[in-house]
Amino acid sequence: MRQSHPHLVRRIAVTATGLSLVAAVWAVMTYDRARGGYQHELLVPWMTDLGINWHLGMDGISATLALLHALCAFAGVLISYAIKDRVKEYYLFYLLLISGVFGVFLSLDLFFFYFFYEMAVIPMYPLIGIWGSDTREQGVVRFTKEYAAIKLTIYLTAGAVLALVGILWLYVGTGASTFDIVSLERQFAVTPVPANLQRAIFPLLAIGFGFIVPLWPFHSWSPIGHAAAPSAVSMLHAGVLMKLGAYALIRIAMNLLPVGAQTWLPVLAALCVMNIIYGGFVAMAQKDLKFIIGYSSSSHMGYVILGLACLTTLGLNGAVLLMFAHGIMTALAFALVGHVYDQCHTRYLPDLGGLAHQMPFIGACGVMAAMASSGLPGFANFVAELFVFVGGWDRYRVQTICAVFGVVITSVYMLRFVRGTFFGPVKPVYAHVHDAVSPFARLPYVLLALVLLGVGCWPAPLVRLVDSGARPLIQRVAPQEVGRLAGQR
Amino acid sequence: MSWALLRIEFVVCAWIIVLLLGDLLVPPPRKASLWKLALAGAVACGVVLGLTPIEWIGHRFQDMFVLDRFALYFKSLSLLTVGLVIIMTRHLTASGRPSTRLRLAQDDPQQALSVKTEARLEGSLPHPGAFYMLLFTALLGMLVLASVQDLLLLFIGLELLTFSLYIMAAYLKTEPQAIEAGMKYLILGSVSAGFLVYGISLLYGFAGDTSFRVLQAAIAKGPVPWTAQAGLLLIVAALGFKVAMFPFHLWVPDVYQGAPTPVVALLSVGSKIAGVAAMLRVLFGVFMPLEGLWADVLAGLAAATMLYGNLGAIPQTNIKRLLGYSSIGHAGYLMMGISTASSAGAQAVGFYALAYLLSNSAVFLVIASAASAVGGDSLEAYNGLSRRSPLLAAVLFVGLLSLAGVPPLAGFVGKLLVLLATMDSGRLWLVMIGALNVVVSLYYYLMVIRRAYLLAPSSSQPIVLDGLTRLTLLALCAAILIIGVVQQPFLEQVGLALRP
Repeated sequence: MRQSHPHLVRRIAVTATGLSLVAAVWAVMTYDRARGGYQHELLVPWMTDLGINWHLGMDGISATLALLHALCAFAGVLISYAIKDRVKEYYLFYLLLISGVFGVFLSLDLFFFYFFYEMAVIPMYPLIGIWGSDTREQGVVRFTKEYAAIKLTIYLTAGAVLALVGILWLYVGTGASTFDIVSLERQFAVTPVPANLQRAIFPLLAIGFGFIVPLWPFHSWSPIGHAAAPSAVSMLHAGVLMKLGAYALIRIAMNLLPVGAQTWLPVLAALCVMNIIYGGFVAMAQKDLKFIIGYSSSSHMGYVILGLACLTTLGLNGAVLLMFAHGIMTALAFALVGHVYDQCHTRYLPDLGGLAHQMPFIGACGVMAAMASSGLPGFANFVAELFVFVGGWDRYRVQTICAVFGVVITSVYMLRFVRGTFFGPVKPVYAHVHDAVSPFARLPYVLLALVLLGVGCWPAPLVRLVDSGARPLIQRVAPQEVGRLAGQR
Repeated sequence: MSWALLRIEFVVCAWIIVLLLGDLLVPPPRKASLWKLALAGAVACGVVLGLTPIEWIGHRFQDMFVLDRFALYFKSLSLLTVGLVIIMTRHLTASGRPSTRLRLAQDDPQQALSVKTEARLEGSLPHPGAFYMLLFTALLGMLVLASVQDLLLLFIGLELLTFSLYIMAAYLKTEPQAIEAGMKYLILGSVSAGFLVYGISLLYGFAGDTSFRVLQAAIAKGPVPWTAQAGLLLIVAALGFKVAMFPFHLWVPDVYQGAPTPVVALLSVGSKIAGVAAMLRVLFGVFMPLEGLWADVLAGLAAATMLYGNLGAIPQTNIKRLLGYSSIGHAGYLMMGISTASSAGAQAVGFYALAYLLSNSAVFLVIASAASAVGGDSLEAYNGLSRRSPLLAAVLFVGLLSLAGVPPLAGFVGKLLVLLATMDSGRLWLVMIGALNVVVSLYYYLMVIRRAYLLAPSSSQPIVLDGLTRLTLLALCAAILIIGVVQQPFLEQVGLALRP
């Protein structure tokens, strides 16, 4: 394939991600929620000496996240039509990133989990470094895209190798002789991992995966990375990649190390308050649109951590739902910020204003994203946040109160973002800018917004799907919690 | 039959003579095509190696030499390295190149200037016949080292390899940098040879013989005096020089910068792998009972080697020098695997060596092919390589990331196995250092990739590659990917060779 056929390359990418979206929807539809557990499994022995299997499968949690990823990837490929330079290489790296993330969500083997995890991180470097943009403030470059790219890659790899050390320690320390998560679950149910070993390994995994969440204080790569990345990459990055960390915490750290989780999750719950409050305040102070959304993402991931730190079915359901809702919301926000940047060539908030006149459609999407982000009823985020708050109330009362206060902060900066970009007096400089006009260009926005509204108005199917994955996990990890709740009822 | 065990070595000896005659008989203008003769020799050796009858495996020749699966594995690695090195030399001896250069020079006066400076810096290989002859003597040394069962043979193998490398390192004898490289290598190499001989003599004093069998018996029988222990550590130091282990690594950066690229490839791949093979032979084959003495020393040195190599690579501005530091880092990982003193560690080292061979050779082949076109070895010369030659840039990308240990490439599996074996041996701190070094190394490899992919090229002239180079580059890339994804068959083969 030559560079001279960008349309062909684009069409292949759209077809590939479209097919994967269809496959993800099919997998979710055919997932038997009543049966629960891992379904659609595929098991091929890979490295038999070490007990490594090519083991794919999904439970309610990974099915939800795979669906989220498929949606974001499809929308991202459509948004990528704005890329005009070195198209073939772009899609090569972009599809590599997409397949890596799918691999993480579907792997049921620790080796392949790490394999795909790192495979998803590396393409970010060229994607940001080549097609990204420098962050400017009043015309002065604040961060170059190269700095952002290397910072992101190094932070995420550092987190990944820490987690790898944890995984290897778990493998060797328990004499497990397999990397297969399902076999490990069964084995640990019979012979639990020594409590001290669990307490030693858990922080390695929590910090390692916490880098990508991004857990405060390991978050500083994330807003810079979001800001520098091309919008389709930011969409995947904030929408899905950050969820990898939380998913890994659930699937590996909590699932395999229940005692470690009991010991250390309160610490995570305390750190995530810093995420919510500190991230929120920093987002308030930003003047670059992408930085606002970037800090807001790390603030919202705080709610996710709070939800999973509860170790209750309700909290975990809320965390996974929020991952889904926030993923869609933030993808929408980055997509429209990307459109604004493409048209106006600036993301500097004081320079923008009144764009709703020129781009009513994008403006409407911006308002929807802001409302969703602030947790307005009717959007998926509301349902998820409610779950988290109710779930967290019993165990982490102070943290939950702080988190509820975080919602107020969110609405402040999101409304500021909407007002400063789309409303106010029309600026003559932007008289020539265009809206997303063609149905094809509007498709990704419409898709994402419809999912947000749809899940928000009728969350039951998705909640049941998540619940079918979360309930058995909590039953296995924290049986006393389930018993306690049942007693209360 | 016992002599027949040595038949691969005999073929190599014969080919040394063939090359010598070839150099005499081929008229000077056609000498550039001697690489074909050399490549034919490597292929012939490969065929002989492949045809080794199964029933010969495990047989010895006079307590000196053994032909087991271990030997066959490392012999194949050495042969593969030499074959790749011969392909790299094509660019330095190929007769087509001066004319291309001339044509370029006529097109663009500025280019002519840079080409002229580059010609002085890079230089083509004079006397290709002699060069290939030396390459084959080095190969002979590596082949012997893989089979060694006697300390004296160890010395002979090591010196055969090192002497050839002394000359090859200073091969461009009119250039000050090359002379400095050769001199440094010679002096430090001689010191390490001194260590080796002293160590051997101490061990001889202990056991009364230099063969591994007698040494094993003596160690099993009775207390090992401190003189013999010192002898062992001296031998480890001498082999540490070969693999560029801290603190015997000081020659690496200067030699890598000054020597011709194919020689550097041989140094960093062949010489290192042969050193590792010898170390495994000595430490695992003979001194396993004294594991308490050497394992901790090696573990400490491995950590220092990794840190020194990877941190030292960060500020480099010359790609060969950078790869020199990176090769020190990789020596650290290999030592880490050896320090486990376990069969899992040996298997990991074997796999790591294979992955390292493929990835590093791929990178050096890119450097050798690109050097004349981009004008030199400075990192700046690689700016915008992906616009000038997508293939070279892609292979550089894959090779460097495999060296860094990124899935789905071969280097990742090698690193994972080494870390796993080290974790198994209970050294959590070493695993931590090894894992963090992955991050450090990724940083400077990405800095090279940044130049190749992110920055704009200084010239838009596409780089033209010949068919064989193209094929080799693609084959290396495919091998790195295949080994990284379908690990089991390779792991099994390595396991057969290295887990007795």
